[in-house]
Amino acid sequence: MSVKVRFFARFRELLGTDIMAEPGQGISLAAFVAEITRKNKDGYDAIFDEQGSFREFVILMRNGKRVETVDAGATLVADGDEIAVFPPVAGG
Amino acid sequence: MLSERERERYRRQILLFGDDVQEHLKKAHIFIAGAGGLGSPVAIYLAVAGVGTITVVDHDTVDRSNLNRQILHSERDVGKKKTVSALETLREYNPDITVTAIDATITDDNARELVGTADGIVDALDNYPARYLLNRVALEKNIPFFHGAIRGFYGQATTIIPNKTACLECIFPKAPPPEVFPVLGATAGVIGSVQANEVIKFLTGKGTLLAGRLFTWDGLCAAAEEIAIVKNPACKACGTIPATGQSREKKT
Repeated sequence: MSVKVRFFARFRELLGTDIMAEPGQGISLAAFVAEITRKNKDGYDAIFDEQGSFREFVILMRNGKRVETVDAGATLVADGDEIAVFPPVAGG
Repeated sequence: MLSERERERYRRQILLFGDDVQEHLKKAHIFIAGAGGLGSPVAIYLAVAGVGTITVVDHDTVDRSNLNRQILHSERDVGKKKTVSALETLREYNPDITVTAIDATITDDNARELVGTADGIVDALDNYPARYLLNRVALEKNIPFFHGAIRGFYGQATTIIPNKTACLECIFPKAPPPEVFPVLGATAGVIGSVQANEVIKFLTGKGTLLAGRLFTWDGLCAAAEEIAIVKNPACKACGTIPATGQSREKKT
């Protein structure tokens, strides 16, 4: 299956954007984001904490709808999904 | 009534709005939280457009390292209070409006009084705790909250309309950790201009607001995108259980 991932702001600097991935069937959203961010340690560390959980401020969206990061382990990725991952930008 | 000088000053936008709407701008009052990177372009564009009353609040002193982006201030202002240089700059830009610059830290105790009877709050802040506080003040007063934030070449903006759109806490329930963020002045210019444009659309009733949409700007690719945002029914600030004194106390 084919899934598109868009990162924003600092996550984009570290990981790029509009990434097309072909994850295996039955993968959770949390495992999928971890898999595609592992290629860049700083990118992974920006999104996940030492325990491998999403950092609390990370915003995850699947096809335009918010997925709470605590639910991402139980949310399965489907063919054609578009996933967005972004941090709150804070400066002014 | 607009004076002859005002009619001349605003001639090119009266072509867009007409006299009545320009008068309406003159009667409006906008509260700008922060006289920094975003507050500078927002305040300048609202001042020159003839928004009649502008309140700017900031507690900082101008540092030379601010000058790559904070265009309300210049070399001669280093060491002065930002409110002093902001007031001078805005008066030079437009002597026909009323500007109040208040040297204060926005806290839970003073926020409602500082905002007063303003028609809208512009978020030109650099931290989430103060943003959450003013987001709640905007909800309580039922006035729009024009959010903007920047980092490096990236920025975001949205217009929060109480009872209609998601609020700031629906979108970003948890603050990121504080940091000394890298930033380019032009990024502040892009996002501040979007915010000023939103304020003017709101006050004039023109166009379609960035309501329910998070505008994102990637200056490295020169790409603007938007993310649809929806209310969170369980939001602590605007959810079905309205904000209470108890939950506000936790914010201080």
